[in-house]
Amino acid sequence: MTEIVIWVVKVVVVWGALLTTAAIMSLAERKVSAWMQYRYGPNRVGPFGVLQPVADGIKFIMKEELVPAGANRLLFRIAPALSAAPAMLAVAVIPFGYTAVIAGHEITLSVADLDIGILYILALGGLGVYGVILGGWASNSKYSLLGGLRASAQMISYELTLMLSIMAVVLMAGSLDLRQIIEGQRAFLDWNIFYQPLAFVLFTIAMFAETNRHPFDFAECEPELVGGFHTEYSSMRFALFFLGEYCAMTVMAALNTTLFWGGPSVPFWPDAPWYVGVVAFIVKTSFFLFLFIWVRWTLPRLRFDQLMRLGWQALLPLALANVMVTGAVIALTAN
Amino acid sequence: MAEFLFYALALVALCGAAGVVLAKSPMFSVLSLLASFFALSVIYLLMSFPFMAAVQIVVYAGAILVLFLFVIMLLDLGHMGSKVEFSTAMFRSPAARIGAVVALALALAGLIAVQRGALQQAAGAAAETGPRDGLPQLAEALFGRYGLAFQATGMLLLVTMVAVVALAKRDRRKGPGSQGAQGGER
Repeated sequence: MTEIVIWVVKVVVVWGALLTTAAIMSLAERKVSAWMQYRYGPNRVGPFGVLQPVADGIKFIMKEELVPAGANRLLFRIAPALSAAPAMLAVAVIPFGYTAVIAGHEITLSVADLDIGILYILALGGLGVYGVILGGWASNSKYSLLGGLRASAQMISYELTLMLSIMAVVLMAGSLDLRQIIEGQRAFLDWNIFYQPLAFVLFTIAMFAETNRHPFDFAECEPELVGGFHTEYSSMRFALFFLGEYCAMTVMAALNTTLFWGGPSVPFWPDAPWYVGVVAFIVKTSFFLFLFIWVRWTLPRLRFDQLMRLGWQALLPLALANVMVTGAVIALTAN
Repeated sequence: MAEFLFYALALVALCGAAGVVLAKSPMFSVLSLLASFFALSVIYLLMSFPFMAAVQIVVYAGAILVLFLFVIMLLDLGHMGSKVEFSTAMFRSPAARIGAVVALALALAGLIAVQRGALQQAAGAAAETGPRDGLPQLAEALFGRYGLAFQATGMLLLVTMVAVVALAKRDRRKGPGSQGAQGGER
């Protein structure tokens, strides 16, 4: 009975945190962009505009829902859900802390510990593209279609780099289990960033492409495609696409923390209590979430051929070489 | 419970496979195939083989089907329907009829084999060879015992790919009065 209660509490806390993060990100995106451009940003709803996400939510719900003429209704309606669901499911295997002891119960701090945790995340990450493709195709609009096409080409190309950069870390840890990967990085000097700096750079670049974020946001690309795959969407379905994007960003930021920055490990304090570890995890993840916004308002967008050349001719060979060198070093030092 | 789930999933997989053949729009063929792959993946999970389930989704649903969708969106936009429609028009050709008969015969043979207890034998053999989810065991078998066959399969796929590219290219250039030749090289 207590196990079920613990499990339900974990599920509620993790999903609540994920959705809250998405809401905060929708505000942070505007606040940070305003800060970088010497503006105020949203500051009317609540103190310093902190209630803006709530106002946005109410507005989205009240708006009329439109389905374009000639659109494929079934696919048009399920596409936003297909886009948001994978990220919300993927967060389940992210370990956000070591083991907590609350009221005599030992609790592992993640919703589910899978032996194949990394593969689970990659599988769901690969499914995230369906929402974008189907939304673009079902809208019966050329802008949406082009956005969907670009997204599918881009996400397939960068998924390879993403997987190969993760494989280097998996080779180091000798396990696909995310908990094993953070256990191997408990001490500060064991963090994978010190052993796999190239994999970290590749993963971070691919992370931007996989979440369709600037400078790789060709799926939307406002100056060329109006809104890309979500041009024809309105009301809550439009909001669901954005919720999916912010959730995917959060999962990717948390994954980056877990793979390269020790997860909940605190530098120079190896026996820190579990809640300090959770705070460390949140701080690290927040940095990468900030990085998403920082890059968006700093770098210009690439051209589509540049994106493809970067992915196939620069990142993929580097990622392959990195895996080969890592594998060779591990094989030679194993004996 | 597991047995009921298996039959439900098997039904989904079969319906998905039938949908691939019968759907009018190629888009829905691909989506039916996706449903079929998902059902298969969950069946692997039921067999306590999560690695296979995840790989099934990563490789087939996440990569190959997305490529299919990509090609369909590039080439075939005429079948854009606002409804899901099925058609049996393809069974007018004799080849398709023969194929359907062979498929039905195979399904019947499979059913008879299950009836005679073939599955129990296979399950017994699998139980003897140890835990099915040992990832190291799988890797050892794949790259050790069956390493040569594994590499050969990879080579075969590569050769097939090169051959397909070569065939497709030759057709476009030498085709009698083909529009591709008039349109010039891209």
